[in-house]
Amino acid sequence: MTRPDPRMPGGGISRRPLHFIVLADCSGGMKGEKIQALNFAIADMLPHLAAWERDQEQAQVFIRAIAFATEPWWHVAEPQPVAQLGWKPLQPVPKGLTNMGPAFALAAQALAPGRIERRALRPALLLITDGLATDPPGGFEAGLSALMAQPAGQAALRLAIAIGRDAQSAALDRFIGDPGVPVLVADSSEDIADRLVAASLAVSRMSEAGADRGAVARRLFGPPGDVSSKIFDQDTIV
Amino acid sequence: MATDITTDEVATWQVITGSARGAAHRATGLPNQDAAASQDGPGGAVVVAIADGHGHIRHFRSADGAALAVDVACRAASRAAAGLAADATGDEEAALAGQELARAVVADWRSAVADQLKARPYTAKELSLLDLTADTPAVPYGSTLLVAVISARWLVCAQIGDGDMLAVSPDGRSFSPVAADDRLDGHRTTSLCQPDALASFRTGAHDLGQVPLAALLLATDGYGNAQADEPWQPSVGRDLAKLAARHDRHWFEQEVPGWARRCASAEGSGDDATIALLLPGAARGAEEDG
Repeated sequence: MTRPDPRMPGGGISRRPLHFIVLADCSGGMKGEKIQALNFAIADMLPHLAAWERDQEQAQVFIRAIAFATEPWWHVAEPQPVAQLGWKPLQPVPKGLTNMGPAFALAAQALAPGRIERRALRPALLLITDGLATDPPGGFEAGLSALMAQPAGQAALRLAIAIGRDAQSAALDRFIGDPGVPVLVADSSEDIADRLVAASLAVSRMSEAGADRGAVARRLFGPPGDVSSKIFDQDTIV
Repeated sequence: MATDITTDEVATWQVITGSARGAAHRATGLPNQDAAASQDGPGGAVVVAIADGHGHIRHFRSADGAALAVDVACRAASRAAAGLAADATGDEEAALAGQELARAVVADWRSAVADQLKARPYTAKELSLLDLTADTPAVPYGSTLLVAVISARWLVCAQIGDGDMLAVSPDGRSFSPVAADDRLDGHRTTSLCQPDALASFRTGAHDLGQVPLAALLLATDGYGNAQADEPWQPSVGRDLAKLAARHDRHWFEQEVPGWARRCASAEGSGDDATIALLLPGAARGAEEDG
């Protein structure tokens, strides 16, 4: 933040916050190579975001992380400036399930009015999972509904990375909520870092002023086929 | 001029404006899509309007839309000023003047857009974009608008879309002279280009004899989005009251453009920032340093 100027009214100026929340699958299936690759990939992604933050003219990026298995918990609870965040490795939960709904609900709480700045840019949520949702009946829907009930949750850019083709599912498409934005599939542990970089690029480019989000999505993710992207409707009038 | 009914003094209101292209607009080649205009109305009234053309690509003529908006708003507000100057104007008449101002602005803006489209039709490229979005012809001109008129003892305001109006009392307390709109979530805005634009206007009328002001600030969202304090209005109001008590309008003429530039910079919102500051002549203090 720039210090207040005595010749200018108010408490000083600062860039608009861009809140980026990672929702990371720490179920039992993530043990071993997968969680190691995920930790490496997240640590590798952060400098990309920090570099973008330095190079652009509008946003300051704050990172939070939710880890989830049978239950979710905050891994990084307070918004951390991306350039200052040292990534503390995630640990899988032995025999932990992949319950996504409660993780969405936890993110929803963080995006409630009054919990993030009114002037904050559209937040970004990145879901990374290696499996199908194992929520009890109605659990996934309840969590997603709680997220979408918040204006910032509804407006958020929501991306998903599926580790392994089996992880790609209609549930992840529903989380994204935009047919123009595909699930990013990491076929192997080695692919995770590449997909996370692609996700961070999407977050950064789509957050820029005047961005044609549809064009950005097509450039980063390829043509959406015969479905039209809802991205085009965003950032505009009521 | 405005008459202070408690002292029978006549206050002359000064308008100082500043506008700066956003750093993010500069980086992406977008122009400053804000606009500002002011003029003296009949009988010593003053009117001011600012507008923020939407940055999204579907509003590809929004800079024109903003320019048209402040032009028609100043004309309509000048007409409103004449009615407000009448001695018989009371609360009800002033409130109605605000509603009529909004109605006139919407009608005149649409007419001005239609006239510009006759003179400068959409190009083939623009038409293809319009086809893609299935928008009406007015949507590419989408803009917000904030307009204020001070005539006799009345302040009448009308606003559609985001941005802020801040009325500042001499003791530093501040308030918005129009009601809040919960639909303005920071991501979307109401707009002159909406089919139901009139329904989205917020208007207000205030008797300056009852509620004297040290300043009235109008700002596009590039100003508010740069403010570190949340909410920023109380500290800005307090500081503005102090500054208005200490400095004359020449000082503000030097400073206000710099405020807009700082807010529009990469240290601030990075968005276009436009400020219109109205100051009563009576607020001028003894210390007039530059």
